[in-house]
Amino acid sequence: MSDSVGVERARTPRSAPRSAWLFLLPYAVGTLLLVLLPAVLTLRYAFTDFTGLSGGRFTGLDNLRRLVDDPFFAASLRASAFHVAMAVPLRLVAAVGVALLLAAPRRGGRWYRVAAYLPTVVPDIALALLFLWVLNPVYGPLNQVLGAVGLPEPAWLSSPWGARVGVVMMLAFPIGEAFVVVLATRRAISPRLYEAAALEGIGPARQLRHITLPILAPVLVLLAVRDTVLMLQASFVPAYLLTDGGPARATLYLPVYIYDQAFEFLGFGYSAMVTLALIGFTLVLVAAQVLLVRRWRVLR
Amino acid sequence: MTLRFERVSKSYGDVEALVDLELTVADGELLAVVGPSGCGKSTALRVLAGLETPSSGRVLIGDRDITGLPPHRRDVAMVFQDLALFPHLTARQNIAFGPRVRREASDEAVRRTAAVAERLGIDGLLDRYPDQLSGGQRQRVALARAMVRAPTAYLMDEPLSDLDAQLRATARTEIVELHRSIGAITVYVTHDQAEAMTMGDRIAVLAEGRLQQVGTPAQVYDEPANLFVAGFLGSPPMNLVPGGGVLGGEPGTVVGVRPEDLHLDPSSTGDVPAGRIEAEVGVVESLGSETVLLVRCRDATRLAVRTVPRSPYRPGDRVVLAVDESRRHVFHEAGDRSR
Repeated sequence: MSDSVGVERARTPRSAPRSAWLFLLPYAVGTLLLVLLPAVLTLRYAFTDFTGLSGGRFTGLDNLRRLVDDPFFAASLRASAFHVAMAVPLRLVAAVGVALLLAAPRRGGRWYRVAAYLPTVVPDIALALLFLWVLNPVYGPLNQVLGAVGLPEPAWLSSPWGARVGVVMMLAFPIGEAFVVVLATRRAISPRLYEAAALEGIGPARQLRHITLPILAPVLVLLAVRDTVLMLQASFVPAYLLTDGGPARATLYLPVYIYDQAFEFLGFGYSAMVTLALIGFTLVLVAAQVLLVRRWRVLR
Repeated sequence: MTLRFERVSKSYGDVEALVDLELTVADGELLAVVGPSGCGKSTALRVLAGLETPSSGRVLIGDRDITGLPPHRRDVAMVFQDLALFPHLTARQNIAFGPRVRREASDEAVRRTAAVAERLGIDGLLDRYPDQLSGGQRQRVALARAMVRAPTAYLMDEPLSDLDAQLRATARTEIVELHRSIGAITVYVTHDQAEAMTMGDRIAVLAEGRLQQVGTPAQVYDEPANLFVAGFLGSPPMNLVPGGGVLGGEPGTVVGVRPEDLHLDPSSTGDVPAGRIEAEVGVVESLGSETVLLVRCRDATRLAVRTVPRSPYRPGDRVVLAVDESRRHVFHEAGDRSR
């Protein structure tokens, strides 16, 4: 009798043994407290005048109306859009380029690979402080090099586009994860494919186009989507330390604006609405990428 | 058109993969290159394809020296061990890959692709990706990709090794038939001596980078040039016994007799006549169409004896063996054939 029940249980996943729930518990609690609950609260706060200390009256669509008319939000959205448009392609190209260069076995190859990954383990704050020095217009090494070869020396962090580019430059270094993923995928491609191509007269440049990139494509799409999500959020630390959102709101990325609203101006309700806007913007960008991938037939 | 290795050597650092390979493949011939793994057979094929540059020596197609030519200018097509189908392309795109990247006229490429696919019976599968095909179907696509080029020579590097035994046997026959009807040179590398024996017009046996013997399957099987070839071809392998042992011969030689050239002599029950070998059956391997007896002689020498199916012998039985004298091979201890 008990045997047949056991068999029945094994067949239907819904009646999993109680120990399974026990194993799930830590994650369930974490997800509930740290993700689901805040998400529900954010959704609720977005329609209130909660300040973080007081209030919390339901205000209907007031926050949404304010969002639409808010020039700071428009600037913030623009800053985030420019940031994603510059940082995601650059980071992807850098990760793919370095990974493909370092994929082939060579003397000392592992040290190059360590070097490529190293900026990723450096804390954002340390990297940001480093870039404060690198980008210093007077004594920073970047402008010294530019000046030495006769190129213009931009006033990096004190001009809007200089600041935007500066933040992107800093984020072009911590690309270790994408680097490792591309490296592993490239190494899994059989060398015979390249030999088969060589027999048809395809040299290294066309091998990249005809073999390597098409085979990497699914991974590249995944990395692009992931990096889009990441760049919409991870711009916070560099912006806060390098530029504090300025100059002229050029780097007032959405996370910075959300933080400012919530903790500087005590506009918890409104910042929740901006957070919803960030989520919406992320969804739009990811959807656009997925549609483009389909339209261009990047994946088979 | 012939294909020729002229004293070709290839070494990687201290490792000699090929040593002074001297070998000619005749027009329209299927040459099976066989040897244990690491014997240099794949290296020889890759040198031929232009994927490796020989350390010394020349490779010729007809009178043309192709040693320095890049792979695609050699007019050879290769089928790889792992088939090397492009995973992101359909069967059709895989087959038409060469014509497409060489920017050949597309309607001609389409026509040739269709013709080759039909010939190999894969015309219904052309829109599938490699991972949607079975092992046998993938193998045909790889073959089609080589055939669409209509090359002077086909180079095959163990293309059947991923197939299961039954499919492999069918594919063998098919490749031989295709080879006959196309008539181009085929160099077929394999580690499987049965594959080499059944497929090759001639067989080249390689070991440790050196050519051991080349000849028709009958030649290399019946007159192995040295101990290595004798021991490598045939399953179970030739019985090799030092001279002066149960198989006779002078000291300093090694005497070899194939399992099928040892005959059971059921008539002698009492004393063992001169020239016969007395032994005890150890293991009986019944293979259906034949039985292999592994026997142990008085002096502890072990011999394999091939005999009829449904053999009545059981382990522990006493047997008397007669050697087919005309099929006794004698080698110098150093390895070469003495007679």
